[in-house]
Amino acid sequence: MRILALIAKRLLWFVPTAVGLIAVVFFISRVIPADPAALLAGETASREAIDALRTKLGLDRPLIVQLLDYYGQLLRGDLGTSLFTTRPVSADLMARLPATIELTLAAMIIAVVFGIPLGVVSATRRNTLVDHMLRIVTVGGLAVASFWLALVLQLVFAMDLGWLPLQGRISGFPPRPITGFMTVDAVISGRMDQLGSALRHLALPAITLAVPALATVVRFTRAGVLDTLGKPFVDYQNAIGIPRALIVWRYVLRNALTSTITQIGLLFGILLAGAVVIETVFQWPGIGTYAFEAILQSDYAAVMGFTVYAGGIFMIANLVVDVAHAMIDPRGGRA
Amino acid sequence: MNASQVFSLRRTWRAALLGGLGALALATGSGLATGPAAAQSKFVFANESDYDTMDPHVAFDVGRVAVRLNVYDGLMRWQKNPAVLEPWLAESYTVSQDGLTYTFKMKKGVKFHDGSEVKAGDVVYSLERVLALGKGAASLFKSMIDPGNAKAVDDHTVEFKLKKPSAIFLAVVPEIHVVNAALVKKNVAGDDWGGAWLSKNAAGSGAYQLDQFDPAVGFVAKRFTGHFKGWGPKFIDHIEFRGVKDTNTRVLGLLKGDFNGIGGYLQTDQIKKIEASGTAKVLDAESMRVMMMQFNVTREPFTDVHVRRALNMAFDYDGFNKQILGGLVERNPTPLPNTMWGNPKDAKGYSFDVEKAKAELAKAKVKIDRPIEVHYLTGFAQSEQAAQLYQNGLQKIGIQAKVIGTPWPTIVERFRKPETTPDISIYWISTYYADPHNWVGEMFHSGNAGTFKNAHHYKNLKVDELLDKAVQSTDQGERAKLYGDAVQIIVEDAPGLWIYNTKWFGPYSKNLHGIVFCPIGNAQEMRTAYYE
Amino acid sequence: MSGIAQVLRQIARDRSALVGLVLVMIVVLAAILAPVISTHPEAVWDMNPVNRLKPPGGEWVMGTDRMGADIYSRVVYGARITLLIALVAVGASLLIGVPIGLWAGWSELWIGEALMRVSDIFLAVPQIVLAIAIAQTLGPSIQNVILALSITYWPWFARLVYAEVRALKHETFIEAAIALGVPQWRIVLQHVLPNVASPIIVRTSIGMGFTILTAASLGFLGLGAPPPAPEWGRMISESREFLPEAWWYALAPGLAIFIVVMGFNLLGDGLRDILDPRLRRSHDR
Repeated sequence: MRILALIAKRLLWFVPTAVGLIAVVFFISRVIPADPAALLAGETASREAIDALRTKLGLDRPLIVQLLDYYGQLLRGDLGTSLFTTRPVSADLMARLPATIELTLAAMIIAVVFGIPLGVVSATRRNTLVDHMLRIVTVGGLAVASFWLALVLQLVFAMDLGWLPLQGRISGFPPRPITGFMTVDAVISGRMDQLGSALRHLALPAITLAVPALATVVRFTRAGVLDTLGKPFVDYQNAIGIPRALIVWRYVLRNALTSTITQIGLLFGILLAGAVVIETVFQWPGIGTYAFEAILQSDYAAVMGFTVYAGGIFMIANLVVDVAHAMIDPRGGRA
Repeated sequence: MNASQVFSLRRTWRAALLGGLGALALATGSGLATGPAAAQSKFVFANESDYDTMDPHVAFDVGRVAVRLNVYDGLMRWQKNPAVLEPWLAESYTVSQDGLTYTFKMKKGVKFHDGSEVKAGDVVYSLERVLALGKGAASLFKSMIDPGNAKAVDDHTVEFKLKKPSAIFLAVVPEIHVVNAALVKKNVAGDDWGGAWLSKNAAGSGAYQLDQFDPAVGFVAKRFTGHFKGWGPKFIDHIEFRGVKDTNTRVLGLLKGDFNGIGGYLQTDQIKKIEASGTAKVLDAESMRVMMMQFNVTREPFTDVHVRRALNMAFDYDGFNKQILGGLVERNPTPLPNTMWGNPKDAKGYSFDVEKAKAELAKAKVKIDRPIEVHYLTGFAQSEQAAQLYQNGLQKIGIQAKVIGTPWPTIVERFRKPETTPDISIYWISTYYADPHNWVGEMFHSGNAGTFKNAHHYKNLKVDELLDKAVQSTDQGERAKLYGDAVQIIVEDAPGLWIYNTKWFGPYSKNLHGIVFCPIGNAQEMRTAYYE
Repeated sequence: MSGIAQVLRQIARDRSALVGLVLVMIVVLAAILAPVISTHPEAVWDMNPVNRLKPPGGEWVMGTDRMGADIYSRVVYGARITLLIALVAVGASLLIGVPIGLWAGWSELWIGEALMRVSDIFLAVPQIVLAIAIAQTLGPSIQNVILALSITYWPWFARLVYAEVRALKHETFIEAAIALGVPQWRIVLQHVLPNVASPIIVRTSIGMGFTILTAASLGFLGLGAPPPAPEWGRMISESREFLPEAWWYALAPGLAIFIVVMGFNLLGDGLRDILDPRLRRSHDR
């Protein structure tokens, strides 16, 4: 019941936050000096043609009316039509979502699979050389500019060694999407060559995204394990002769991961909502590239649609994290 | 660059990385860096920009020309280099005495991809559609013809009645890409003229028939065996055009054989690398694409002709054309391409000379007491480098400049009013149709002030008069003289700065042949290409 | 002040804080001494197309860029831009965020609550997303980058201070001060503010690193300081077209970003350990 109340309370806050966010972005996107009507009308359009188009698109009405109109649209589940792809923004986003989810999942898997064991090792070998090395790596992982890391990886593995593709999602024309997840689709249709190609394309962007996430996971796992190791039950288990490894990897880890899970949830939200720079560097056909191009082209409907999506994802991630936290730790929410 | 130095360093890397990370790469199976065996009947092109729509009446740019040239046909088509206007779906045409009525006789038995015949009604529908959508080439047509003034005299005769005589109507007729009216009408939603449907599908008669389209990737088309032009003994079965925005990916993809052709805006170093590769080659051809700067002549200090001339002497033409672009382009001292008819042979233009520039500046009556804004196009590294070099040159003659990147859509919007037009803007005027009017005609007629062609907001009654005469005359000799006179006045008046006319570069797989370059369309018509 | 001296002594004892401080000082000194330590001070504006894309060695320590300018000298001067952007943006965020957080947390009036909801709006999307939108709207310039970063970063301070103040309000010594009738503004300035200073200082150091990364990302996307400003993110972006041949092009600016961000992060971690052991427990649990 308490958790349901928490969810209800958080959902209630969703509404004003979302309304505010949409208003903020709406005004930002409309201050852009480029005139969407002029863009659509084409390079050689006459002034009359542009004015006519502006009226047709409703861009000549007061901003506040347009904003209210947009809220109405949203309630009907309509994100508007992209000026440049001339398709509904929601369809564009849906078409690109699987690419972003696939990339995010791959990055998170790398971060978790390597991060948690490394964090445990770092904690159990506290203040040894291994621990110090890992600390340097984690601090470094958070300090490196992701786009620079991306370039270095591209330079070495794609350009110099030629092991991995430079950019994109698959070589050749992509097969017609079944689920939209390239790897899953390849397995379903039994195309192992496509699976290989998809995985190779996934490698560099996923590693780039995973580096800061990995650093965070290591850091929080280490702190959690250290904290739990100091708890009385560990001393007790030690005393009754349970093997040390079993204590650490089974009992301690389970108790130590609360804050790590919180971080994973938050990272997931951040990556899903805004891997703009990395997707752009790798020309990954996901939501991030879409958003960046929409901003550059002043495609206001697409910019708005993206922000609504990003805000939504981010807020849901936060909610899930809070709920998970409340379930794991009944004493209270996050600090 | 010292090659041995570079290589030894790179080898050191390799050693370190092979040891440390080899295992990882092997685990993902990436040691086998082989692409799929390139089937010889498929052509893959990596384009600089995306293919966001398949609608032939929405776009009028070189970036998306592949759809229009391969999937659609028009009454006429620009072919070869120098470009010649050839009857295409038309068999012949006549122009009335008063220059107002154009009558086209069409070829018989030409088939759309669905097997129905291409008829005059389809041409009329296509023009109506262009005018109704108001995009792409529509504004050009709107200035010449009103809706309802194209009519099908019979199934194979179509007639256009113009508002006033025009020397360029014929030149833009190829942009009336003929769609299958019956098929489009079946897919109309509301008043969209089938826009939603045609943006993803095709209804053409072109040499290739749309097979697959994904706006995030590109399109694939297969050979239409029933194309009216027929086929030679050798051809390509499937063509694929993909948007690949990163230059490096395009170049490396071409070298590896993933792509068979790539867009040609390349750095010198890349062209040299491709030529040295052994798997790919770079074709080149005389072309027409003028890089230039436009000064906003309505604002001080650009109101003063001496300032404008001094500005023309402050750009390091050789440093840019020869060093930065590696001599791949040719200096073009006037707004009209060197290779276009009408260009006066004796026009010398200006050269980089700091001392002369200072002397010219001394004659000016206005004072330059603020930093000048030089705008380049965001995302176009070449225009950015030109702006930086110009900033440097201006500093040498004592003018402070700010370099500002502005995206194309934004700058076009700012051009509309003199007050918002930047001081100096750097970009290109490409070949929209092969006629001097495309450059000097549209760039300096006061009627075009506020468009990207005349962002100078230049108004010179004498020039207007010459250009008006030229566009209404149908005698090429007379027109050449008129444009030539206009060019002389304009160079003297210096409302802009003209840098180069570029050659065309076409990087292709070594075994690809039969590419026919035409300045309109940049050789993207694949009908004649084949592998050997 | 002996407090500062004590903190400095503790920094000297804490290894990561010391390393962080040294790294930050290296970059600060490079920025200050740029005219002295750069080999081609004119490289910031002078172009010599003849020298373009020369590899490192000899006259050019880190090679030259596409305009023939010395990359090492540009990176050194770039430290000025980077630090300026981060200092002003984080400073502005502090000036906006801290008073709002203090006031909202203390007064518990609806206006304060409303302001916190506004900060929630900004926190509802990753910072980079809004920063890109704002920077693109305003056009690329140093001022606009600073503006975009300040607008999107102040809520972090507001949130932090708000939470701290809310917790403090019910501490005995504050309740005692209220009961004694001490004027509210004096309680806030004399008792509340000093007690929230530590988390603010830690957040400021981490925020510097974070802001530098975001600013560099904006530069990389072409939304940062315009040329010829030697902005690190932009230099890295320029290099892409010349890879793999000009492998040195992005090396120096990338390392520079790494050093300064690492410095601020280490310093922030160290300060957290030193200033507020309680904070460390609650964060690193």
